[in-house]
Amino acid sequence: MTRAAHPEAMAPPKKGPTRTAPPRMPGSWWGAPRIRTYLLFGATGVVYFLAGTVVLHLVWALGKGPDAWATVMASLSHPLYLVFHALTLISVLFVGIRAFGTMMPKMQPRGGPLPVLAPGLVRGLIYSAWAALTLVFSLILAGKIGS
Amino acid sequence: MKHLLLKLEPIIWLLFGAGLSVGTMLLTGFVLVVGLAIPMGLVPSDALDYERAHALASNGFGRLVLLGLIALPLWKGAHHVRSLSVDFNGGDRDGAVGVLVYTAAALCSLIAIVAVVRL
Repeated sequence: MTRAAHPEAMAPPKKGPTRTAPPRMPGSWWGAPRIRTYLLFGATGVVYFLAGTVVLHLVWALGKGPDAWATVMASLSHPLYLVFHALTLISVLFVGIRAFGTMMPKMQPRGGPLPVLAPGLVRGLIYSAWAALTLVFSLILAGKIGS
Repeated sequence: MKHLLLKLEPIIWLLFGAGLSVGTMLLTGFVLVVGLAIPMGLVPSDALDYERAHALASNGFGRLVLLGLIALPLWKGAHHVRSLSVDFNGGDRDGAVGVLVYTAAALCSLIAIVAVVRL
């Protein structure tokens, strides 16, 4: 009967700096769908950052008074703003589908007091919350509900 | 500088995670209506005339939502831009990029607090 090997049996006699090379992006990253999707997910950060500054610009104008608000709302019709907001909507949908639909169902804590739910159920719950919040928020902003 | 970033990691990840989840949920409706539907004439512009917009935004809940709508996407964006820099062989410049993007997010978040308080 063989004994289990000691876990440090193959370790070098002295601890030294790691000999593994730092991770490097492969030159062919654009041709690899998984890396491409991962990088596009990261690239949405630029859009989110700019979207945050646009909302800040709007809120600042709202605080300045009716004239500034009217001016800033009129400026949103500029084609550049429309293209940017279309890009923002695509980014938000992409992030939502990837984060809520793919990542979060796999990120449930194991071994805790809460039961681990089926991925499809988690996906459905988060998508429902997202859709409900978007619907209510949109109706309020569009003047369909609320004062 | 990397040491400071490592110490702040839990706060940064909290804000990044909130930006990814809450920010995404809030931005969807906002961009759909304010960014696209109103400018394209699909929703009448008086739905968000000054009086109504101010009334919606200037109560406590409205201010909180607006602060989340500004600050959370900024932190999600900052962290993802840093992550993207590292992915493109930016390990050596990570400290400088991290400080730059997080400082920008923190400054804009402070301005956002001022903006919602003065409504």
